[in-house]
Amino acid sequence: MNVLELEGIRKSFGDLEVLKGIDLKVRKGEILVIIGPSGAGKSTLLRVMNMLEAPDEGVVTFLGRKLVPNRKRLVRWARSRMGFVFQHFNLFTHMNALRNVAVGLVKVRKMEWEDAEKIAMEYLKKVGLEDKAYNYPSQLSGGQKQRVAIARALAMEPELILFDEPTSALDPSLVGEVLDVMKSLANEGRTMVVVTHEMGFAKSVAHRIVYMEDGEIIEESHPDEFFASPKSEEARKFVGSIIDRML
Amino acid sequence: MSKILAVAGVIALVAAMYVAISKVYPFNWNLVVRYYILFMKGLLITLKVSVVSLVISFFLGLIFALFRRSHFEFLQDLGSIYVWFFRNTPLLVIILLTYYGVGTIFQMNRFWASVIALSLFEGAYMTEILRSGMEAVDKGEIEAARSLGMSEFQIFTTVIFPQAIRISLPPLIGQMVSLIKDSSLASVIALEELTMMGRQVGTRTLASFESYLIVAVLYVTITSIISFSGRIIERRLSLP
Repeated sequence: MNVLELEGIRKSFGDLEVLKGIDLKVRKGEILVIIGPSGAGKSTLLRVMNMLEAPDEGVVTFLGRKLVPNRKRLVRWARSRMGFVFQHFNLFTHMNALRNVAVGLVKVRKMEWEDAEKIAMEYLKKVGLEDKAYNYPSQLSGGQKQRVAIARALAMEPELILFDEPTSALDPSLVGEVLDVMKSLANEGRTMVVVTHEMGFAKSVAHRIVYMEDGEIIEESHPDEFFASPKSEEARKFVGSIIDRML
Repeated sequence: MSKILAVAGVIALVAAMYVAISKVYPFNWNLVVRYYILFMKGLLITLKVSVVSLVISFFLGLIFALFRRSHFEFLQDLGSIYVWFFRNTPLLVIILLTYYGVGTIFQMNRFWASVIALSLFEGAYMTEILRSGMEAVDKGEIEAARSLGMSEFQIFTTVIFPQAIRISLPPLIGQMVSLIKDSSLASVIALEELTMMGRQVGTRTLASFESYLIVAVLYVTITSIISFSGRIIERRLSLP
């Protein structure tokens, strides 16, 4: 069963065409990693998936329902069933970690604060931050902030979690703790779409790699195959340049 | 330590000036103090006008700030025109316009004419303060709220407004102080607020200097209390 389907997605910002007709299906339980050079349209594609950007053309289908930007209720329902983890965490500055995780349950799922905070605490435990529950974002490290953001997405019990370069804004020393949480989610059989530059993560966790360049999907393949022998010239160059950088 | 020295210096200077002036102008405090009840009455009216105008101007500011952030161009323009007009017209003229213009048509008394003029005028400044406060809220947080499935109204009440108020608090307190001082202009339509009362006592006793000095001290006192309590609230609300 497909959780999410994209068909012929096009998106332009002014004269710049960022997505040039994207077709993509995400199956239940699948971990899809999108890679490609910056400016390829990876983030925009992810943002189209939960309608943070409305596509100019094309159809997004989530859990069998076609999302239409103008149908606000439908879009809100879809978003509340789709977690989104941002590059810059985007935690609510004026709320402590616990409230950050609980607020969605209170506002969107109409729970009482007390019940919501109990659930929020469970998810903070899951990401190893129950002792930071009453800290404000300014009192947390980047890695801790991103783990709270993941807990916030998880608390809504999403059918699909979207990660937009979740480790790109982190100190190299803090990347590991976030990747560990993401790996544990992968082991639970969650459906995830991850935009990342962490090739190690992509290789070990992904079920499928999508390589994008210049607003188009150039290649889709199994990670072993992708990293060993990319089919396309572009992907070969990209993987080559990354391996060069690592050495 | 340096603060204490500065305060002591100022007190010494004022005292010296007082002594020097009293050589030429014999101060007669008894004459004025007898009318303290009039000063109190004036102070009360000043506070009444200010508090009512403060509440109304805050809501005007909030509404027009939302207009200026709206998706509808018509509302944006409405907001801009409001701010443009009231920030570019002297308050004195607005008070005169309200009382002698609109006021005569609608039979408005001095108190409400002053309240309306002050509210409209200060509301324009509140609009800009609240708008920039709302704009200072991180766009990423708004997106995060959206990604959780919150409605635009929920995003405003849970993410934008609480942070905008905290950001806007210092300039809002400043505007409150301005409002109190600006209310003295209502004396031009003979509203019996503090400044008007000061003038009355001055003419009645022929001791204008003393009378206006009392008025000034009273203004400084209430505005200082507000600034001071504002700073305490700010500290209370500040995030770690």
